[in-house]
Amino acid sequence: MTRVSLLTVVVLIYLFLLAPLIIVVAVSFDPTDAFRFPPSGVSLRWYAAFFASETFLRAFFRVSLVVAVVVSAMATAVGGLAAIGLVRFLTRGRTLVETFFLAPIVVPEILLGAALFLYYSRIKMTTSLAGLVLGHLLLAIPYVVRTVAAGLAGIDPSLEEAALSLGASRPQAFWKVTVPMIRSSVLSGAIFAFIVSFSDINIALFVSGPDTVTLPVHVFSQIIWQADPTIAAASTLQIVLIAALLAVAQRTFRLRVTV
Amino acid sequence: MTTARGWVAFVLLAPGLTVLTLFLLVPLGLIVVISVFTYSPTQIWLPPVTTANYVKFFDPYYLGVTWTTVRIGLVTTLVCAVLGYPLAYFLARLRSRWLGLCLFLLITPLMVSSVIRIFGWLVILGRQGLVNAALGAVGFARVDLLYNEPAVVVGLTELLLPFMVLPLMTAIETIPRSVEEAARNLGAGSFALFQRVLLPLSLPGLVSGALLVYSVSISALVTPALMGGRKTRMLGNLVYDEVLTSMNWPFASAIAVVLLIVTGAVMATYLRTMRVLARRVGRP
Repeated sequence: MTRVSLLTVVVLIYLFLLAPLIIVVAVSFDPTDAFRFPPSGVSLRWYAAFFASETFLRAFFRVSLVVAVVVSAMATAVGGLAAIGLVRFLTRGRTLVETFFLAPIVVPEILLGAALFLYYSRIKMTTSLAGLVLGHLLLAIPYVVRTVAAGLAGIDPSLEEAALSLGASRPQAFWKVTVPMIRSSVLSGAIFAFIVSFSDINIALFVSGPDTVTLPVHVFSQIIWQADPTIAAASTLQIVLIAALLAVAQRTFRLRVTV
Repeated sequence: MTTARGWVAFVLLAPGLTVLTLFLLVPLGLIVVISVFTYSPTQIWLPPVTTANYVKFFDPYYLGVTWTTVRIGLVTTLVCAVLGYPLAYFLARLRSRWLGLCLFLLITPLMVSSVIRIFGWLVILGRQGLVNAALGAVGFARVDLLYNEPAVVVGLTELLLPFMVLPLMTAIETIPRSVEEAARNLGAGSFALFQRVLLPLSLPGLVSGALLVYSVSISALVTPALMGGRKTRMLGNLVYDEVLTSMNWPFASAIAVVLLIVTGAVMATYLRTMRVLARRVGRP
């Protein structure tokens, strides 16, 4: 294959990959409700509709955003500590424990959702924000563990030893030398935890109740019941938020280690 | 020293182990238990232990859904491999400032909610959609592109392509350029180069990507629900309907257990091939 034909194929594959996102963004600016591409004009009509819709605002700001922020904070704490324990302190059975921490990726999300739904109804913890948070926490922890572990593994242990020989205590050396060096991988893990929660539909479809409808679940039911371009406006806001966060993550850390 | 280390490790790992035990292991154990209980329309499940839920699975209708699921999974994996290989090769050999942008454009769609990307496909493939408008403009009749099996494959392929590209790219990066040049100098054409040099050397990456794509695609729910219509139903749709609509939790659990065993086996193999790949790259 020549260079030019390879480049053509690659551009076409990227177009295929990005087509749905491009279309959603384009449709959100169309003044009509015809889902037309290219749009017949530029208008903010559907954004106005989004900000006037009680249910959309609630799903976006009071459910999805809140859950994602809480999940991100909890996953970073829990996953970050676990990664330090795994890389720095665990001597035996490391592979086993590591596999357990990555296990949520191995289980299909819809089965996690279904299992949690049955479990919550058994322990009478149905349709609360806490249920969503715990479900998303399962998805987010492996991302944080993986990024922070990769960050820690990339640090030369002799740096901490140098601090020790200069008179620092072990906790001091960890806190003042290692922590600043893994800051970017921790930030990257936190960003991915946020995004995983914010984008999730498979778990939320099972465990969100009438008062805790997340944005993706609301979009899902709107598609089924009454599709209008307000969905596209809400989706565009989600795409912009996620793309911005990924750009930050990419500046601070290698994306590929995380995904 | 060793015991002190062990205690610190335990304290650091304890919160995560607790969350994973209480909200991953216990719920999954619960569905295994429910799957052998008897269904009751009034009380959902009753204690007598039975194999009826698994036997019910062998009904021709459910076997048909299983076959559809396996078929869609296989076709999606194949299409992802065909589309993913040139892209992975391109990215693996790209050594410029464009690499960052190209990776960003690969990962951003992956992280956007699947329901939004499927919504995009509904707009593109719908009766009034982009493809039909283009067909109409050149004088063809409108066709039904949605609510069939190929539509589900298109949706899943677009969702899962990055999962194929990333491990494949890592594998191709480990092949030195000099190997390619040597093959070329010995007279290999593009196809021979691919078939006899690149493909065998990048096989661990291809296998990893394929296992990942297959296991995620056979547990799809939202894509067949929105793009498959009434006829194209997958095991994920069955689980969803039995849990939330029919409320036959023992049967739903039985389907879930079957799906869990299949995907678990596939993903265990995936983790093993990824470890082989990581060793080869020399990355932790």
